[in-house]
Amino acid sequence: MLTSRYSKPDVTELSISAWFYRNRTLAGFDNPARSLYVSIRELVENSLDACEGAGNLPDINVKLVSQNTSNERTGITSAPEIFQLSVQDNGSGIHQENITNLIGKMLTGTKFTYKQSRGTFGLGGSLALLYGQVTTQRPIEIVTGLRGEDYFTSILMRLDIERNEPEIVEESRIPKRQNDCGTTVTFYLQGDWLRSKRRIQEYFAQTSMIVPYSSIWFQTPDDKLIEYDRVIDTLPAQAKEVKPHPHGIDVELLKSMVSVTRTLSVASFLTSSFQRIGASTAKAFLTFAKVDADQKPRDLSNEALLDMMRAFSEYNRFSAPSAKALSPAEESVIHAGMMRLQPEFVTTTKRTPSVYEGHPFIIEAGVAYGGHLKNGINLYRFANRIPLLYDEGSDVSTRVIRNLNLKAYGLRPDNPLAFLVHICSTRVPYKTVGKEYIADVDAVRREVDLGLKDCLRRLSEQVRRRNRVQKNTKRESRLRGYYKFISETLGEATQRKIVLTNLFPAGDDE
Amino acid sequence: MAIDSSVHSTPDVLDLINQVLFKLADTVEEGEFPEIGYYNSSRKNISYSSDQGYRPIDDTPSYIDGRKVESAKTIAGLVYGLSRFKEHLEQGMSMSLRDFYYMNKVRHVQEVLRISNQNETNRIINLSERILRIAGQSIPREEFGVVSSPKGTFFGDLTLSDQSGKKLNCTNAGEYGWFISSRPFEVKIHDINIDAAVFVEKEAMARNLIELGLPEELRIGIGSLFGQPGRNMRAWIRRLADQEVPIFVLVDLSPWSLRIFSTIKSNSIELSNIQGLATPEAHLAGMTSTDFWNKRGMLHEIEHSLELMTKSDIKCAQQNRNIPAIGQDEILNKENEALLKKKRKGELEAFKSFGLPLVELKAKYKSYLTSKAAIHDVKII
Repeated sequence: MLTSRYSKPDVTELSISAWFYRNRTLAGFDNPARSLYVSIRELVENSLDACEGAGNLPDINVKLVSQNTSNERTGITSAPEIFQLSVQDNGSGIHQENITNLIGKMLTGTKFTYKQSRGTFGLGGSLALLYGQVTTQRPIEIVTGLRGEDYFTSILMRLDIERNEPEIVEESRIPKRQNDCGTTVTFYLQGDWLRSKRRIQEYFAQTSMIVPYSSIWFQTPDDKLIEYDRVIDTLPAQAKEVKPHPHGIDVELLKSMVSVTRTLSVASFLTSSFQRIGASTAKAFLTFAKVDADQKPRDLSNEALLDMMRAFSEYNRFSAPSAKALSPAEESVIHAGMMRLQPEFVTTTKRTPSVYEGHPFIIEAGVAYGGHLKNGINLYRFANRIPLLYDEGSDVSTRVIRNLNLKAYGLRPDNPLAFLVHICSTRVPYKTVGKEYIADVDAVRREVDLGLKDCLRRLSEQVRRRNRVQKNTKRESRLRGYYKFISETLGEATQRKIVLTNLFPAGDDE
Repeated sequence: MAIDSSVHSTPDVLDLINQVLFKLADTVEEGEFPEIGYYNSSRKNISYSSDQGYRPIDDTPSYIDGRKVESAKTIAGLVYGLSRFKEHLEQGMSMSLRDFYYMNKVRHVQEVLRISNQNETNRIINLSERILRIAGQSIPREEFGVVSSPKGTFFGDLTLSDQSGKKLNCTNAGEYGWFISSRPFEVKIHDINIDAAVFVEKEAMARNLIELGLPEELRIGIGSLFGQPGRNMRAWIRRLADQEVPIFVLVDLSPWSLRIFSTIKSNSIELSNIQGLATPEAHLAGMTSTDFWNKRGMLHEIEHSLELMTKSDIKCAQQNRNIPAIGQDEILNKENEALLKKKRKGELEAFKSFGLPLVELKAKYKSYLTSKAAIHDVKII
């Protein structure tokens, strides 16, 4: 025992909210600059989820207003500042009775299913709201309305950290048109705009590339409006929830699944709790694992569960996991997103689903060239439709690009090139807790490599064709230049006017 | 050997230039891209024989196709060049290669042709020589007014009149003698009082020979090549040989000097299309390998003064084997192989390493030259 025998046991249970708040640095809330960035990011991603979930083309309106009055003499505000952050979307809206639970309570629900989702930590914006309340002690305002109702519900609430329960301060109704829907969250938080400005702007720029079907407006504390208008009107198909694949779970999950199952035999537990296991596969597997098919799942001992886990990983005849849980952006969307960079050429590709440790993934890639692109290689990385902004150098895509032989495609590293890599998966193979870059997993690297090469192949054809045309035009104009000179010199030497109309009939040689 | 056929009158040359210009003008006006054929100096177009040197044989023509951008540029350069030659000939002016290079730097010309170094304009001159032909023979650039800076001198009792129109004797034309005209073919020779002409690679030794009074005592002419002889010098040697003057050449003992001698004797591959530059009658007087390495060689005593050949000297000697005028010439090939074997070289200044008083040095020079002449049945007293 670590506790001294003489000290009184003084242990109080910590609510989930309290635990998360104490360990908020894990989720990125470690200083005012980063907290501001993470808060905006979490809420914007929640809103995008809400809109896509409702099948609406997202309109996201973000306002960040400084609450500080700057020092009159110096014009400099004292850090950290207080900001009012308001994020408005046109999602489905929230049913009145669910508002407080969905927004004010952390980690609700225990479904054992998988689906591609944006959230990096599964906390949504709740932690952001919690952080705001703790740093400013001001309540949170939610305005939400469903399509078909004629009012918005407006709620002013606080979070009770210790009990992990929301507390309503004020509730009212605001009339609206029947067709309006969506949610607006407004709250106050401490932040540092100067230090996070570049990062936040980059976040919006890149997000606009991966969700080009959204209109995103961001009003900065500097009173500037950054606008990204929708450039394409198709939403990607929604991901479906699927049961876990036997290769994609661990013992803890297996235990929890066993503890809640209502099935009476191991065989039916397998068929009902996992994907890719039907009656015959279950039978074959149980024979392989030497487990009695009729045994009650709840009677399985810890050792038996461990054995079963081992058997899962050793048994290699399960079909590959289903890709239905994935929602790739689709080529047209990637293409539209890359067009935001205003390049000259864009090629995109979508790879077929592939598997990594029992989780399916799809790589989508795009390569753009020329136009307004900066010279050199620009890389844009996305995972489950959120941009990855940091640790680019360690990312698997960077390694793949470093090993590409651009010369073979008639390109040079100092050409204006942009690469886009989007991985979507039920479990993105992030390398670190920071979740900012993708690990160098063989299966993923191969897919990224093939995807980019496919794009480059087609891009190089376009670039070459254009170069050929340019070269011909240049050749033609040089030829005309020489003959113009020849005719002038000959004219002078022979004292007569030499015309080139027969040599270059179509053109005026000026 | 008559060479008058290779001298063309200025009106003839002007007429030819005009013909080419009008032909090009007509072609372009008719809507055709001009195509110009010529014979380059590839080995196919050259023959070598020891009694004639290099001769053009017009085997495989090359074409400049005006549809191609680079060729159009060449044609533009050529047309511009011809128009300049025409203008200069009409005004009775000459120009140097460097002059022509700067004419290509006239702003409106530079903007089109973008000439970056003199090699490009030299190429145009060379091309003009190949394209302007009368009776199957190239017109030397001197005849369309492009002269090289004259190089080389000649001292001796020979009376001539050059472009200046003045009649002069080459013993009375300054300390080196007569500065050789840029157009030796047009020099009139009035009187020759020499039994032979000796051409010396190095200016210092030529001056010594003149200072010691050898031309008068031996009745010979002394020419100074100043290194690799220019076209004018080679043409002058040809002129003298045509006047039945025996020709001797005195050069260093080195692979480079073998090349100098071979260009006098056989002309060069590059200029094989230009007539009147080879003198197959010329004899190599020295310094030869046998002078040093034969026990009874005249310079055996100073064999110790020879220096080691450098890497580039050896490389030069190795390449000499593939030069027809050296590799296929009995004497020169022998000399070249001897150099490669001994890997040592000597310079004309080696005479000074005898350490003789001037009177005896003079006697040494005299005996060296007379005995060398005697080998080739030329008697000089």
